[in-house]
Amino acid sequence: MAVATIETSGLTRSYGEICALKPIDLSVPEGEWLSVMGHSGSGKSTLMNLVGGLDRPTAGALVVGGQDLSTLTEDGLARFRREYVGIIFQQHHLVPYLSALENVMLSQYFHSVPDEAEARHALERVGLGHRLKNRPGELSGGEQQRVCIARAIINSPKLLLGDEPTGNLDHKSTLMVMELLKELRAEERFTVVMVTHNEEVAAWGDRTIYLTDGVLVREERTRS
Amino acid sequence: MLIRILKNSFLKRPKSVLLVLLSITMGAAVATAFLGIAGEVSHKMALELRSYGANILLEPTALEGGGYLREDDLPKIKTVFWKYNITGFTPYLFGVADLAAAGRHERSVVAGTWFSKEVQVPGEESTEQGIKGMAPWWDLKGRWPEAADEAIVGAALARRLKLVQGSELAATVRGTVQRFRVCGVVTTGGFEEEQLFAPLVTVQQLLGQQGKISRVLVSALTVPMDDFGRKDPSTMTKDEYEKWYCTAYVTSVAKNVEEVMSGSRAKPIWQIASAEGALLTKLNAVMLLLTLLALGASATAVSTSLMASMAERSPEIALMKAMGADRFQISSIFLGEILIISVVGGLIGYLIGNQLAALISHTVFNSTIASPLWLIPMAVGSAFLVACAGSIAPLRRALLIEPVRVLKG
Repeated sequence: MAVATIETSGLTRSYGEICALKPIDLSVPEGEWLSVMGHSGSGKSTLMNLVGGLDRPTAGALVVGGQDLSTLTEDGLARFRREYVGIIFQQHHLVPYLSALENVMLSQYFHSVPDEAEARHALERVGLGHRLKNRPGELSGGEQQRVCIARAIINSPKLLLGDEPTGNLDHKSTLMVMELLKELRAEERFTVVMVTHNEEVAAWGDRTIYLTDGVLVREERTRS
Repeated sequence: MLIRILKNSFLKRPKSVLLVLLSITMGAAVATAFLGIAGEVSHKMALELRSYGANILLEPTALEGGGYLREDDLPKIKTVFWKYNITGFTPYLFGVADLAAAGRHERSVVAGTWFSKEVQVPGEESTEQGIKGMAPWWDLKGRWPEAADEAIVGAALARRLKLVQGSELAATVRGTVQRFRVCGVVTTGGFEEEQLFAPLVTVQQLLGQQGKISRVLVSALTVPMDDFGRKDPSTMTKDEYEKWYCTAYVTSVAKNVEEVMSGSRAKPIWQIASAEGALLTKLNAVMLLLTLLALGASATAVSTSLMASMAERSPEIALMKAMGADRFQISSIFLGEILIISVVGGLIGYLIGNQLAALISHTVFNSTIASPLWLIPMAVGSAFLVACAGSIAPLRRALLIEPVRVLKG
């Protein structure tokens, strides 16, 4: 049996009196692609933020890559994020005044040392070798998302998180992005946790869990 | 990479950067201008104060030799270590004479003095010494004596003897009679109004004290007294004495003058020296306070501008944090920006402050001034301090940004 990359036990997140995530027990084996589905406010993004070290649980245990995230300091969590996690956002969140290449290098800068050749190669892998010098405003939505993917994988993360990564893309771009993620995952062998409310996108994963009002209501294996 | 981030950050947000740069430049300019003219202001104020009376009194040490000083020692005063600080001196010879004018008689003090005498010291430029330069507040109706038999009289004495400009009077001392023509009546508000002032050489002859003087009033530029300056020189170590001697305290300048006037004892006129010292100290404090206030205002402006900029940049900061940037990395980006803006703002501030100082100096003192080069690192340093002080709150706010809240889809 594969080693668990993510292990939660009674993981809870409340904002005041609102409980965004009710105690949840979850185990994600290393290399698995987990899709998280649910309606708006179901707690799927909350779960992703906790797993990515962007937020802290109110209660429960959360171990990712062998590290108990609830015991880490602010800087410890920052180190965890840069060394272990790659994140793809729905809104891309690229730095507007940096080129595609510089946006990828920015991630290297926070991780260790920027390497332009490596960053260029990452962009070539996502099919943007011809768009290196372009700024985000000069790229289409699909291209921006591919820059995000290059930025997310540049430091060889063990865990790739996607928060509705195709939410703003048309069908064609969605397919392109999903194909790309599938290829990269096959090469890099990272674990994927992808939040979506699109059944079709969720089907790209190995397993899908469904959240409703912060409760894990069911899960199903989508691929053997 | 940091350079790329900073360069692009500046180019992308020129308005915000210019606002911060302007705030920092203003602070540096005002600091440069104030500090640049501080020395000039103190010097000019000291010179102004020197025109309101002497601050050192030279008297004979003992009654031997009639208790007089020697007139021919006077030029030596302009040869001492602090000669350039001595702005003027006036000798006096006092005696009591029977004055008679138009049938009125009175015993009164006769003072022989220099009104305006050229003093030549070998190797130095000649200078004009005497009452005329040292007592500009004297209100003289008439003119200063030019001939040996001309005199000016104090207003009170003139009233009693009914003397006006052009009157004649006779002064008699032990049978020697000297006739004077009154060329002016002087009002000083002090004891001088009871006296008659005549050329020193004439009074020396009248009193039979050729070449002698009773006292010398010296006006010198000095620094405000501090605890060290108040120490008794006789209790000082050699090093302390050297430091004291080489600092223009009124006491050390007095000691300096005393050394060249044989048989003299020099005493600071404390009510003048102290008031002057207190005034200069307060003036320097005001200049420093104004500089600090200007820097404080500048820091506040920087803080406000950066706060606005920070709100605009919060998604960018949140993204950096999400990518794993720690507090040090976030801080280094902001401090890097601040450092560059500070250096540029400090240099521009120095150039503007230099012109401002020249303008103030020209307008107020009618003199030219060039800010010293050491003000450049000072301007840049103060700009950086202002920028750092102004960055504390915005940076703290940046470090508290929660990526989850800002990047929420």
